[in-house]
Amino acid sequence: MRRQAWQQAGPALGALAVCAVLLFPIWWMLVTALAPSDELRAYPPAFFPAHPSLAAFRTILFDRPMLRWIMNSLIVAGLSTALTMVLGVLGGYALSRFSSRAVRAVGMGVLLAKMIPTTLLVIPLYVLFREYGLLATLTSAALAHCTVTIPFAIWMLKAYFDSIPPELEEAAAIDGTTPLGALWRIVLPISLPGLGATALYAFILSWNEFAFSRTLLFSEPANWTVTIGIASIRGEYIIAWNEIMAASAIVAVPIIVVFLWLERYLVAGLTAGAQK
Amino acid sequence: MAIAARFPGRLWRPGSRAWLGAFLMGPSAIVVAFLIVYPLSRALDLSFQKIRITRIGAPRLPFTLDNYSRALESTEFWNATLVSLAFVVLVTIGCFAVGVGAALLVNQRFPGRRVARLLVALPWAVPEVVAATIWAWMFDGSFGVINWIFLELGLTDTPIAWLSQPHEAFAVCTVALVWSGYPFVAVMVLAGLQAIPGELYEAAQMDGARAWQRFRHVTLPALRPVCAIALVLVVLRVVRDFATVFVITGGGPVGATRSLAVFTYEQAFSFYNIGYAAAVGLITLLLCAAFSSMIVRRSAGA
Repeated sequence: MRRQAWQQAGPALGALAVCAVLLFPIWWMLVTALAPSDELRAYPPAFFPAHPSLAAFRTILFDRPMLRWIMNSLIVAGLSTALTMVLGVLGGYALSRFSSRAVRAVGMGVLLAKMIPTTLLVIPLYVLFREYGLLATLTSAALAHCTVTIPFAIWMLKAYFDSIPPELEEAAAIDGTTPLGALWRIVLPISLPGLGATALYAFILSWNEFAFSRTLLFSEPANWTVTIGIASIRGEYIIAWNEIMAASAIVAVPIIVVFLWLERYLVAGLTAGAQK
Repeated sequence: MAIAARFPGRLWRPGSRAWLGAFLMGPSAIVVAFLIVYPLSRALDLSFQKIRITRIGAPRLPFTLDNYSRALESTEFWNATLVSLAFVVLVTIGCFAVGVGAALLVNQRFPGRRVARLLVALPWAVPEVVAATIWAWMFDGSFGVINWIFLELGLTDTPIAWLSQPHEAFAVCTVALVWSGYPFVAVMVLAGLQAIPGELYEAAQMDGARAWQRFRHVTLPALRPVCAIALVLVVLRVVRDFATVFVITGGGPVGATRSLAVFTYEQAFSFYNIGYAAAVGLITLLLCAAFSSMIVRRSAGA
């Protein structure tokens, strides 16, 4: 017993050290966000907040359009998640239960979309949205984000539906339920955890997205999302790092908390479709 | 409903199933066609025209291969290809070194390993733009914490202007890309490690295999399929990355970090050469496709 404890001390200490190094950037973001402006240039730098202050958060939230950026990001992510979930549920159910050559072809096709560079796809999307008068609207960004979220949602939900025994639906079929009725009344209610994880994942993908948003929305500052906003503050002449880190923390901490809380479900999404 | 009641289960019969599948997949297929397939065909069309962004909506220009020949003759394009290649090689090595290392570490038995497993994957949850911004601050030329560490360790006498020198800026982008990319490798490899049956190790131990031999002959072969998938996805991610490099350096200084993705974006939206940019983007896509199919075929054959 004693010996075992000693054997485990090595890996435990190693893990502690590795985590400390790997997570230092996150810690540094929080320390800087809480630092008053005059301590940013301290030498040596303070590794713990000596005089924690919320001044940077106050400035970024109320003297900058941060709240508006957050609002825009929520709208874009909400729109793209809603559309993604409707299409992903139908497509994932098709792949799981009613697979045919045509269905599989679409399924594989959307996986190939992972190879398309965003900077390539955004060029024709820019042209198309301009032709349809959608350029620089939140809708344009939400639709562009769907090119990322729909393929992944279809496969994540397919994997989830695969884990539900089809006998339940077969029983319903004998009772005369249509397939869509079975999906709606039987499969979806027991898939709620999977649906939640997929929706959350799609939401995070959209919330974090930069290349599409920056290209499509840049000409209209009123419609900027949080990622465009954060990248823009740094471009200014005097860099107030504590304000930038405060903004970064506002954007990242909710996602970090969600990740720590629901990691089990989200990892399923991280690896969904990877086997194909 | 009435029909279903009269003919129970009719829609579930094999003849209907294919139609049902198509009906369910239809909406996704239509949206993907509008948002990916049609736009790609438009990009192809743009790449065959000498067109600038200001001409959007005007009649089509004559067919030309100029954009492609211009790319192949331009030193900037080849420089961007080299930068992308260098990122791919270095970042992939970095992601696998850190990712596999972290996975092996938290796969050991020790108190608190559940928390450790969560924590090593945590950088995945940090948005790329935020991660890039944090690294830009840590590598700040005057007050960055990395400069302080370098000065304290005596690695340099004067603060290094990380982001305004070519090699240094490239190194900073590499570090940031590895940090955002390794958690995916760690998670995949950890899942692969847990799928290896314990009996394999016991059998190897009975045969007298040492720790290193067990790793070499049991662990590594079992991880090969997982690593092949992770390799494809990591490489695609690095080639397609725009946010990290754009936020940290914007492609500078003097093009040292201008990857194909940043080059494409610059040509399209800073210089408005939209036809040329489409050509460069499509060449990038071809490189990605060629690489992925090569790895998939090799790992399928093995």
